[in-house]
Amino acid sequence: MSSQTTPKVQIMKGATPNLSAATYQIHDESHTMGNALRWMLLKNPHVEFCGYSVPHPSEPNIQVRIQMYDEHSSLEALLKALGDLDDLCVAVGEKYNESLKAGEFERWVEKS
Amino acid sequence: MNDELEPTVRIRQLKRDKVNFVLENVDLAFANSLRRVMMADLPTVAIDMVEVEMNTTVLPDEFIAHRLGMIPLVSANCDEAMRYTRDCTCISSCAYCSIILMLNVTCHEAITMDITSNHLEVMPMTDFDEGGEELTKRGQDFGHPVGKNQPNVPPILICKIRKGQELRVKCIAKKGIAKEHAKWSPCSAVAFEYDPYNKFRHTSYWFEVDEKAEWPVGENGREEDPPRDDEEFDFNAKPRKFYFDVETDGSLGPQEVVMKGLSELQKKLANLILGLKSQPEVDMLTGGDQTGMDTSVAPATGGGWGDNIGGGGGSGGWGGSSSPRPGAGGWGNSPGTGGSAWGGGAAGWGSPQQQSNGWNV
Repeated sequence: MSSQTTPKVQIMKGATPNLSAATYQIHDESHTMGNALRWMLLKNPHVEFCGYSVPHPSEPNIQVRIQMYDEHSSLEALLKALGDLDDLCVAVGEKYNESLKAGEFERWVEKS
Repeated sequence: MNDELEPTVRIRQLKRDKVNFVLENVDLAFANSLRRVMMADLPTVAIDMVEVEMNTTVLPDEFIAHRLGMIPLVSANCDEAMRYTRDCTCISSCAYCSIILMLNVTCHEAITMDITSNHLEVMPMTDFDEGGEELTKRGQDFGHPVGKNQPNVPPILICKIRKGQELRVKCIAKKGIAKEHAKWSPCSAVAFEYDPYNKFRHTSYWFEVDEKAEWPVGENGREEDPPRDDEEFDFNAKPRKFYFDVETDGSLGPQEVVMKGLSELQKKLANLILGLKSQPEVDMLTGGDQTGMDTSVAPATGGGWGDNIGGGGGSGGWGGSSSPRPGAGGWGNSPGTGGSAWGGGAAGWGSPQQQSNGWNV
């Protein structure tokens, strides 16, 4: 089996068969993703509960627990949240460049 | 609510080594992610291995090696212009994944001489056997100490030597990120503030006599209205305006840090989406995390799991035996379910039917 490469995402035991409540273990991520993802998930009205934890500080994993209302799929919600976060990054990047082009800020050009 | 407003960015100041901007209408979580990513997830180049050929200075080898590691090297476009050694085809280092800097200084006069970052010489690359596009993406002074031989940038002192002392070392600089070692951080400081008047009471100030006099409000206070004395506490208020000040050590420019920070965040998201969508892999894993790790120890069934939890080991298939952690899903499930209940749950998961159902996206 592919034992050398740790999978990026695993579903922990105890998830409901239709994945309306599941815990995802994400490898090689930290609070950086965990907290932002949790916030994005909680914006989804179908999400009943969402929380994340870093089970152990010296292991590079986070666990995200998602519980949905009305048997919605937590996987769909997770994918949606990821997509939304991505859009947010794009939006902020665009706004940053806009502000940069507008040039209405203090500039310091040091000679070097 | 203002939840619906789209995010805005306003740059307030741009210097050669720092950018100050205000980010609005995003969550605290996102703003913090951006901060974390800029500080810890952007690759730069830094001296990682030091071969000491001769050291007769007063500082021991490891002391000097550490000081060399902290010197910022020009790393513009590092994410494309260089490989991680772990991703490289070479055995230990080559032109694609490392930069060699030599330091060879001897003091021949009766003075105290400074060995500085200006003495570090980048060696021309020799051992590139196969084609790689990385080298073409490097700037002219890629890998050089920041500000080398620029008259208005004081060099970084490495060691002081007297007459007759010598330092001769070969440094191998590698690409890395600050999660591994802080020397790889492109940022010397990232200031991050919200709610300068502490209206949300996310903090409480320690003071001796007068809180307001002892905690003057900073520059960012001008961006917001000071609280009125009769203002009621709004416990629903959420931070929406974040003041950033990204200061770099010169290895990357401040512009590059912000833009690469955002794209690094996106890269992380894309990675996750990929991990979720590559269905065959995940299918294997849901079952796999029972079979994969436990094959040698226990039968790959739910029963094996029940035993595990009951025994209090419980870190699950993935954690290995190193951490004594409670049952992996313990916090997500309803409290009070014992080991036996878990065994049942796990057995449920062992069934391939359910897995395939669960993964219909």
